[in-house]
Amino acid sequence: MGLEYVRISPGFEKYMPKDYVDLVQYGQFGKQIDVQQLGQFKELVEEHPMCAGCFMAYFIRIFYASLPKPEDTIVIGTAGCARLALSQAAVPFIYGNYGDTNAVASGLKRALSIRFPDKEKDVVVIAGDGGLMDIGFGMTMHSWFRREKFTTIMVDNEVYGNTGGQESGMTPKGVQLKMAPKGKQFDKINAAELAKVSGCVYVAKLAPTNPKRIAKTVRRAILAARHFGPTFIHAYTSCNIEYSIPTEKVLEDARKREKQDFGFYEWMTDEVKEFFEEIEKGQEVKA
Amino acid sequence: MYYVADVDEKNCAKYNCKQCVLFCPEPNTLMYHDSKHVAWVNYSRCKGCAICVYVCSDLLKRNCIQMVMMTAGE
Repeated sequence: MGLEYVRISPGFEKYMPKDYVDLVQYGQFGKQIDVQQLGQFKELVEEHPMCAGCFMAYFIRIFYASLPKPEDTIVIGTAGCARLALSQAAVPFIYGNYGDTNAVASGLKRALSIRFPDKEKDVVVIAGDGGLMDIGFGMTMHSWFRREKFTTIMVDNEVYGNTGGQESGMTPKGVQLKMAPKGKQFDKINAAELAKVSGCVYVAKLAPTNPKRIAKTVRRAILAARHFGPTFIHAYTSCNIEYSIPTEKVLEDARKREKQDFGFYEWMTDEVKEFFEEIEKGQEVKA
Repeated sequence: MYYVADVDEKNCAKYNCKQCVLFCPEPNTLMYHDSKHVAWVNYSRCKGCAICVYVCSDLLKRNCIQMVMMTAGE
C-alpha cells in the first residue's frame, strides 16, 4: 500500500462507505498517533467476531493503534483466534498456512526491499502459540537464524482455543484443559530465551496491563526490525473461554499473571540500545 | 435483549480520566467525547464484557459505568 492508495479520489467521497471516509479523515494514516488518544480517532481495526472480553482482541487493538507507519505495513497471520481480528483491519493481511508465517514473511520482506529499495516497508507476523512455537516452530527458528528483518509477535493464550482446548507447548505445567484431562506434563517453553539465543536483536515479554507500554514495545520492535534484524514480542493474551475466566475478571487475571510469570521483560543488543537512545532523545519515553 | 455498558455522563465528567476507553477490547466502541470530556458507548458494537466496569468501579472506585439490558432497536 502507501498513502496514495488510501486517499479517496476527489469527487468520490459521497460514494465511499462512511467507515472508510471516517478512516481517511479521522484515522491514523499519515499521522503519528499516541495510544492515549484511543477513543478520539477512527481505529484501523473494525468490528470483528472475537469473543466478548477477549484480551487477544485487546492486544490487537492496541497493536494497530501503535503501528509507526500503518500505510506501509503488512501483517501476516495464520490459523488461530488472532486472524479473526487481524483480517478486519485496514492494513493488508496475508493468511499463511498453519506454521509457515515466518517463511512467508521472510520472502515478503526480501521482495519488498527489492521492489521498494528507497522506502521502509514493515512486515509483522502475529500468530498464536500454536502457529509459532508448536506447528510453526521450525520456520520461526530458521527465520531468526537467518536474521530476517521483520517482527514476530506471539499472542500466547496457552491453549488451542479454536479447536476445543488442546494443550500447546506454551500451556503451563499441570494445567488441565477440556481436551487435556490429565494435565500438562511438561514445562512451558521459554520462548523469550529461545529468541535471544537464536539471533533476535530485540526481545520483549509482557502482559497487556499498560497500553502505553504495549505501544512503546511494539514501536521499538518494528523500528529495530527495520534496521538490525529479527525482533520478538511474547504477549500473554488469556483465553477467557478455555480457562473459564469471567469476562469482567480478564484484566484482573492479566495483572495477576504479570506479578507471577509475565512481568515486563525487555532485552536488546547494544547497537539497538544505542539506536533507541539516539531516536528517543528528547521524546517522552516513560511507560 | 442483550447487555451493554452505559456511562453515567454527569458522574464521568468530573474525572476526565479515560481509563475505560484504553482498556476496552473492542475497537471504536467505548469512545471519548473531546468537548464534553466524557466516555460514551456505541451500543450496537458493545459485546457486554464489563471490563470497563472493572476498571471504573474496582480499580478506580469511580462507579461511572453500569451494565444495562437493551433491546434491539433501542
